[in-house]
Amino acid sequence: MTHSSSVVDGNQFAVHLSDVWKMFPGVVANAGVELCVRRGTIHALLGENGAGKSTLMNVLAGVYRPDRGQLKLHGQVHSFRNPADALSAGVGMVHQEFRLIPSFSVAENVVLGSAPPLIRPQELEAEVAAMAKKFGLRVDPTQPLWQLSMGEQQRVEILKVLWRDASVLILDEPTTVLTPSEVDELAEILRRMAQDGRSIIFISHKLHEVSGICSEATVLRQGKTVATSLDMAATDAAELARLMVGSSPVAPDRPEVATPGDPLLELTELRASGDRGIDAFSNITFQVNSGEIVGIAGVAGNGQRELADVIAGLRPSTQGSVTLNGADVTAARPQQRFRAGLAYIPEDRLGVGLAPRLSITDNAILRIYRQQRRGLFIVAEKALAYCKYLITRFGVRSGDPGGPIAALSGGNLQRLLVGRELDGQPSVVVAAQPTRGLDVQGVKAIQDLLLDQRKAGAAVLLISEDLDELLTLTDRLLVMEGGVIRGEFDPRTVSRHEVGMAMLADTNATTR
Amino acid sequence: MNEASLIGLFVATVSFAALLYLAALGELLSEKAGVLNLGVEGMMAIGAVTAFIAGVELGNPWAALAIAMMSGAALASVHGFFTVALGAEQVVSGLSLTILGLGLAAYLGKDYVGQPPRAELVPVEWAGLSDIPWVGPIFFSQSPIVYIAILMGVAVSVVLTNTRIGLALRASGESASSTDSAGHSVLGLRLSAVAAGGALAGASGAYLTLSLTPQWAEGLTAGRGWIAVALVIFGAWKPGRVGWGAILFGGTLALKTRLQTFGVDFSPIILSMLPYVLTLLILLVISVRSRKRPSPAPAGLGFPYRREER
Amino acid sequence: MMRRPRLDLRDQPLAGGQPLAFGIGLAVALFVGTLLLLSAGHEPLKIYTRMFEASLGDPDAWAVTLNRAVPLGLAGLAVAVAGSMGLWNIGAEGQIMTGAIAASWVARIGGEWPGLILIIAMLIAALGGGGLLALGPAVAKAKLGVNEIITTLMLNEVAIRLAQWLIHGRWKDPDAYNFPLAPMLPEQAHLPTLFSRAHCGILIAAGVIVISSVAVKYTAWGYELRIAGSSEATARYSGISLPQKILTVLVLSGGIAGLAGGVELTGTADRFTESLSNGFGFAGIIVAALALMRPSGVAVVAVLFGAVQIGGQSIQTLGVSSSVSTILQAFVLFGAIGAGVLSRYRILFEGDTHAVPEEVNK
Repeated sequence: MTHSSSVVDGNQFAVHLSDVWKMFPGVVANAGVELCVRRGTIHALLGENGAGKSTLMNVLAGVYRPDRGQLKLHGQVHSFRNPADALSAGVGMVHQEFRLIPSFSVAENVVLGSAPPLIRPQELEAEVAAMAKKFGLRVDPTQPLWQLSMGEQQRVEILKVLWRDASVLILDEPTTVLTPSEVDELAEILRRMAQDGRSIIFISHKLHEVSGICSEATVLRQGKTVATSLDMAATDAAELARLMVGSSPVAPDRPEVATPGDPLLELTELRASGDRGIDAFSNITFQVNSGEIVGIAGVAGNGQRELADVIAGLRPSTQGSVTLNGADVTAARPQQRFRAGLAYIPEDRLGVGLAPRLSITDNAILRIYRQQRRGLFIVAEKALAYCKYLITRFGVRSGDPGGPIAALSGGNLQRLLVGRELDGQPSVVVAAQPTRGLDVQGVKAIQDLLLDQRKAGAAVLLISEDLDELLTLTDRLLVMEGGVIRGEFDPRTVSRHEVGMAMLADTNATTR
Repeated sequence: MNEASLIGLFVATVSFAALLYLAALGELLSEKAGVLNLGVEGMMAIGAVTAFIAGVELGNPWAALAIAMMSGAALASVHGFFTVALGAEQVVSGLSLTILGLGLAAYLGKDYVGQPPRAELVPVEWAGLSDIPWVGPIFFSQSPIVYIAILMGVAVSVVLTNTRIGLALRASGESASSTDSAGHSVLGLRLSAVAAGGALAGASGAYLTLSLTPQWAEGLTAGRGWIAVALVIFGAWKPGRVGWGAILFGGTLALKTRLQTFGVDFSPIILSMLPYVLTLLILLVISVRSRKRPSPAPAGLGFPYRREER
Repeated sequence: MMRRPRLDLRDQPLAGGQPLAFGIGLAVALFVGTLLLLSAGHEPLKIYTRMFEASLGDPDAWAVTLNRAVPLGLAGLAVAVAGSMGLWNIGAEGQIMTGAIAASWVARIGGEWPGLILIIAMLIAALGGGGLLALGPAVAKAKLGVNEIITTLMLNEVAIRLAQWLIHGRWKDPDAYNFPLAPMLPEQAHLPTLFSRAHCGILIAAGVIVISSVAVKYTAWGYELRIAGSSEATARYSGISLPQKILTVLVLSGGIAGLAGGVELTGTADRFTESLSNGFGFAGIIVAALALMRPSGVAVVAVLFGAVQIGGQSIQTLGVSSSVSTILQAFVLFGAIGAGVLSRYRILFEGDTHAVPEEVNK
């Protein structure tokens, strides 16, 4: 473990975690972790997916109780029994999934948990507005929360923590829901808070985002601290990357240039409404050819999810057409599209792709039970055989196939899901966030499967928030923002900056 | 049909409205906190019988009312324990509570059936006001519990919108996890709401035996607890609207026994279906409206909450 | 300082958890009941013996208990079938009524028909009657997402009043000395007896339960039901039409409850009465819940529940008021509910954490 400062004085630090252990059944999430955060700084907590960052911060925020270890805030030892304890000690966390109440107003959401005994709504709204202004957070306290975008909701979450006068603020992967300009806004907000004497811990697995914002970093790998109190200015990206993944980052294998064939998936002037009645996306026209991977980049909430659902037939379109292998499937139901050669890997594994309370076998036969049945009945032996086949072919680590699906880990769930979808030799694959939240092996496994499909001549549409993944795997890259395609790029030559500009909806950006 | 019977109809409407309103307010509190309590009939029965017994034994109607409210709260807490603390299915627990409440009430009241009451809350006479024609008898000669009911309506409304605990209570019904993260005790909030709901249902039952029909008999509640459940939905979980709904449904109850005197040839049985049919219609309207904006129902209603400690 | 307890999901539910839960419920009820009885001046042992004898002591007792188990089981099945898909049919009480109304109506017009035809016609009508009452809530849920708990609950009250209205009005028996009673059923409209007083409704109920269990567990239709019950989104994703499923399941559930009304009418009753449903609908919900919404468990739970009810009735002749048996039932229920929760969860106290291993093998 490397330190940049040789003296570790507990009192200098706003936060000092030492020898923290946290275990869950079957996995050690944190193994003797060290973390030191200086007062008034923005501190990066880096590590790959699954390194233990969120777990550690949940310990700090009182959500989890550590199995062993010490937690010191401003030199004082604390033991939090629940989030309320942590909050009163001055630690607040903004989670990836917001803890907000849609039917309440912004002001009500902000003060929940720390309101005065008697509430005068208008006074409260004025106070919330004042605090928001002080830190540069653009929100309207009177607005009902369900009307706000993800970026706006995040500001409410931050305001909540500030309202409690938190001296330590933890942000868990905050930039995944923000556009590049919103990221800049966030950086400014955080700087103001740091100047105000507050300490900020910024969890991320993306180096380039934190380098502009954070002054110090701690790196976790596989549950352990590999470095803490690193001076970001003095450490170069390659070194940080090495610490994160454990060896020199090998440039990932780019697939050889493809000679794409016929268009297997064609979208023409496609348009659909979102859950609130307004357009989720419109004017979508592009095609995916046989033997290529087309990527769609863009921050979540810009219509990608709805687009994937429309292509799969789970959501109706209001205009335009979807053509699969030359046949118009715009009005076809999901099962018909599946039979026509479409495979869909949804974002929500346990919840859309898989039925949470059923067994592994039940989930395995989801696509083929209709073919397998004899008369009215499902044949148990055939179902089990197929399940075992999927497990073997796609390397799913599971116990008893008759056991509950919820017992599988994230990576294995995804392997089963992806395997089930790809087993039928689809001609078109739509994959939404297929590697999100997986560990290194899991990510590779899924990416390899997608590349295999490409090799076999399928048309693959890859929707991902991970720009690195898209730049590596895809043959063509589209950017979607505000429900429209803002540009098409060659992933081998384009710069991140160009892509970022497209995500800004700058009409001067490169268009097709 | 004459003036006197019409006045009588309105007086009865207000009386029944108060009966329903108290119980409905209690259920509203419970549901706002996220707990469905289908045991209202049972809680009303317990309130009714304990109020009567306390009245006979102690002779003081106010003490009887207090005891009834405490009994209602105690019974409701059984439901609260199973559903909130243990996380059991709210529907099943609530129905079991109805069975328990009705059975317990019958058991306790067995020796008191047919006995004359010793404590009553007779209609209050407001000096002068009660003599105003029409308005006087209808609004100013009611049992004190009616006025308590109105006060309760205002109190619940104020608490829910203008106090910290009201905000927290509503939050625990919308999103228990967010409320927990904000530092509130979802368990405490829900248990309190359920108990308060029981107290109000108990008060409603006490109203029966202390004012409306001052005697005890098995089955006194006669399904009015179910009307209260419907009323909460009819009023879209808003105390004000529930109040108007209470007057409407109370009118139905009052009209039921008076149809003949008014010479109306309409079956009182069919009339008694009205509250339920109206609630169904309102429910449809709410559902159609919910396509554009969130439904007025508490989002977390019916779902037990367990903090995921992993 | 007291350590606060909390509930933690077990990795595996306790084996034999649910029957154990019912057993514990029974034990708790016995304990409380003993206290209650003692306080009322009765002898608990004598009372319990009598309860057992009256419900499960001899073939005659079994006959009565099984007869009672029939509507409980069918109502429970109705709720369990809907419950397999995550839907709550709280309207069984009303659906039993409308089923019985439909069956009575057939009896009124078919007074001359031969027995078998009449009974079959009545039962089919009962199926239809119950399904019809569930149709409104089914459509509302399928098309508009209206919560079925409330809609089915409200229609209970409507159906019961409908029955009252009919009995007090058009269906009033002219020979009943102006008492509001429906006329007696035609003689041939009674299910044949199996043994002692037990009627064929037992076979009908058993048959329906078996068919339903097989359907839910082994057919493609049942598979789709369970998928839809586990996650609506997954069902849509796999091509299952949710509105269609919701509609068919709720109407089927209503039909089964209606059948309970028809069987009860032709099995136990002499005539259609206002109290025919007698709380069976609500009891059915509890039966289904105790059977964990599995059709296969409903039969056993219904028989046990029936025994408790019959036993409870029998002790009234010993001077124990009916309210005591009602209270006992409630305690059985709560005891079972609590035990059921505990069989799926265990109690951990604050500070209980996972052991720290000596070696970290990473």
